[in-house]
Amino acid sequence: MGFIDLHNVYYRYPGQSRFVLNGVNLSISKEGVTAVTGANGSGKTTFSKLLAGILTPTKGWVKLNGQFLTSLTLAQIGRQIGYVFQDPEKQLFCETVEEEIGFGLRNLGLPLDQVALKVQEIMEYFELTRYSQSFPLSLSAGEKRRLAIAAVFALEPELLVLDEPTTGLDPYRKKLLGDYIEKMVASKRGVVIISHDHKFIARHATRLIRLQDGQFAEG
Amino acid sequence: MDAIVVDSLTYRYPAGREVLKNINFRVGPGEIVAVLGLSGCGKSTLCLCLGGIIPHYLGGELTGQVWVNGKNTRDYKVARLALEVGLVFQDPDTQLFSATVEDEIAFAPENLCLPAEAVRERVDSVLEMLGIGALRQANPSKLSGGQKHLVAMGTVLALDPAILVLDEVMAQQDSWGKRMIKDILVDLRRQGKTILIVEHDLESVSIADRVLVLEDGFLIWDGQAADILKEREFLLRHKLADEV
Repeated sequence: MGFIDLHNVYYRYPGQSRFVLNGVNLSISKEGVTAVTGANGSGKTTFSKLLAGILTPTKGWVKLNGQFLTSLTLAQIGRQIGYVFQDPEKQLFCETVEEEIGFGLRNLGLPLDQVALKVQEIMEYFELTRYSQSFPLSLSAGEKRRLAIAAVFALEPELLVLDEPTTGLDPYRKKLLGDYIEKMVASKRGVVIISHDHKFIARHATRLIRLQDGQFAEG
Repeated sequence: MDAIVVDSLTYRYPAGREVLKNINFRVGPGEIVAVLGLSGCGKSTLCLCLGGIIPHYLGGELTGQVWVNGKNTRDYKVARLALEVGLVFQDPDTQLFSATVEDEIAFAPENLCLPAEAVRERVDSVLEMLGIGALRQANPSKLSGGQKHLVAMGTVLALDPAILVLDEVMAQQDSWGKRMIKDILVDLRRQGKTILIVEHDLESVSIADRVLVLEDGFLIWDGQAADILKEREFLLRHKLADEV
């Protein structure tokens, strides 16, 4: 049993006849970095949303730590899985960068002094301190992505699911992201990366799976 | 006549920071120019200035001048400038709104009141060029990020502008999509189009003739693409290349 198990998972969007996923069986552990590749439109983002409970399979099931994902609330899933959307604007809603990073930490019930320390540390690492009082949606696309990633990393979930995390990042920020991913892996947290960035995958992935015609192939 | 002239361009967002600082450059017809720089250095803002979105829609303080195909962007509406400059945004969702890919690509030519037959020809030609014929009846909002960028490119190519400004259109493409876009851009250059591409990936700028580098709003490099690729130290110092 993996940390996440998919059993005979089919998915098609409402009102559409084509199945994006066709009977997927897959286990994902909390160890290392699993990279998911595939052509444009092959269903990578759909797959990642199924992992995070944002979508529910049309047929089949997904289990998280042995529990059916459908039996958990999004908040319960969110404590174990951190999800970064392909479009960072979908997850930024606070008035300042500082609040955005602290939001999840406060919801976890952490004491405010610990929240402040963690926010400071994460802002410094992702070089967002100069924007601490800026409105998140006024940032550039690359900065918004860094912020979305930073806000999820701050929560230190057991598994991170990152959909195209290097899009809009310059080489230097890609390196910072890669180093942080390695740090997460070293602390026994798993990472799933959905990406076309072959260089980044080659550098960090410990497992490679390719999505084609709705099914996965290893390697 | 130069296709693009940017003269002493400085821009500050409304109630925000100064993002472009005294930028000067010219681009000739049939040139591909790549713009590099760290996130937040002003690349996308420059694209918005070239398409006239700044200052017409976003306000803020703009000083200096921008000419595209001899037209000062201050003096022409964005809709008119769109005939000269095809601008593909970094976030394609901001420019896709139709119910099908076909309608999306036909929208601008139809608004030019082209005959229905000519509109259909343009749509067919663009769908084929971008390899997205199978998506003709798909809803653009349901497509993947990479496919959305191809559709957004299609909408501007359907207008056949002399200048293309593409903001990170290759970032979400698979290898096939990247190769196809590069081939299309090289072909368009052959036809005399002027192309300005914003990308982070140095491999993606291999088709460029010239490279501009922005840093914190300043233009710090304007030179031949072949030259900057040899400047390993410069690229590393300005964090534009990987250390390995």
